[in-house]
Amino acid sequence: MIITRTEFLLRTRLDQQTLEVWIEEEWLSPEPADPEPLFSEADLARAGLIRDLQGDLGVNKEGVGVILNLVDQIHSLRWALSNRIGSARTEE
Amino acid sequence: MKDPYEILGVAKTATPDEIRSAYRKLAKKLHPDLNPGDKSAEEKFKQVAGAYDLLSDTEKRRRFDAGEIDATGAERQHERYYKDYAEAASGRRYQSASSGFDDFAQQDDFLAELLRRREQQARRAPGADRSYELEVDFLDAVNGATRRITLPDGGSLDVTIPSGIEEGQVLRLRGKGAPSRGEGPAGDALVAITIRPHRFFRREGDDIIVELPITISEAVLGGKVKVPTTTGAVMATVPKGSNTGTTLRLKGKGVPKRGGGHGDELVKLKVMVPSEPDPELETFLSGWTPGSSYDPRRDMQS
Repeated sequence: MIITRTEFLLRTRLDQQTLEVWIEEEWLSPEPADPEPLFSEADLARAGLIRDLQGDLGVNKEGVGVILNLVDQIHSLRWALSNRIGSARTEE
Repeated sequence: MKDPYEILGVAKTATPDEIRSAYRKLAKKLHPDLNPGDKSAEEKFKQVAGAYDLLSDTEKRRRFDAGEIDATGAERQHERYYKDYAEAASGRRYQSASSGFDDFAQQDDFLAELLRRREQQARRAPGADRSYELEVDFLDAVNGATRRITLPDGGSLDVTIPSGIEEGQVLRLRGKGAPSRGEGPAGDALVAITIRPHRFFRREGDDIIVELPITISEAVLGGKVKVPTTTGAVMATVPKGSNTGTTLRLKGKGVPKRGGGHGDELVKLKVMVPSEPDPELETFLSGWTPGSSYDPRRDMQS
């Protein structure tokens, strides 16, 4: 599903400036498009994670970047592992 | 649900600060996005977050302590977590580059192949589609034309409008959308067509409708008249004794059909009396007596 910038701000209850910082930090990378970038459900959930990290978990700005990077690596690994397992099963 | 104090592991007398720090400690361990594969962490986190929601709100905590409310339903309802999307197509672009697996990939052909394919896929992913709107003249829509759209970024796009295009139709111009982020093809441009109405032509399916005013004498005596069509004027014969509403059909003078051939043009005649008083016509008509059987309002008599 495609979400416009306005809808994204509304649903995440973020202000414009915060969103710009998040995009600048590459915590979020919406799909570039005319006239403004488009967001996905994944971006929405990711914004929820960032909010949890900064709010409830008390992580500072540098920490958020580090955590997101590691989370992204975990998902890459999980993806590779599940593919590896999937292929092992088909070979059996 | 269990006692919220017990869930957070704090005493009933704990200060708000103690509650917050106990919650943080647990949340860091249990947050579902930090435990993407652990279903039980997600369940526990819901309870912990719910307990914290209850105890961090002074009013709710007071009412709970007073026994006015219980902890039922206090589990926090969270929108879906990032982990639920991370491996979907839209989340996959956040995954880190395959260089993170270099050490494994060298020892595992399958993994190497997998990563190579994925990188290729990412590189070859097409760019996004872009949508435009284009308003075209009625005759251009019927006959076809080429129009240029000026893009927001200053560029331009030549759009070939096929003859016979209809209102609301969307033209897809391959490769005219956003460029790919990698080496893939560009996305498509989607051009939605709206059609400006014409001064006197109308369209019904593949037929063109036009209302043609004629004089009384052309109506009574018949004759050749010039009729506009979408491809230029043609001569048509008005039959003797035509009336307002009489329709002439000009075969093949309508809209080009998609499968070949053309619709027709329907010419609806409209008899016009001169708008300026015409003494000659008045004199002539005062000397004219319609036949006794002629009554134009006969059908209206009850």
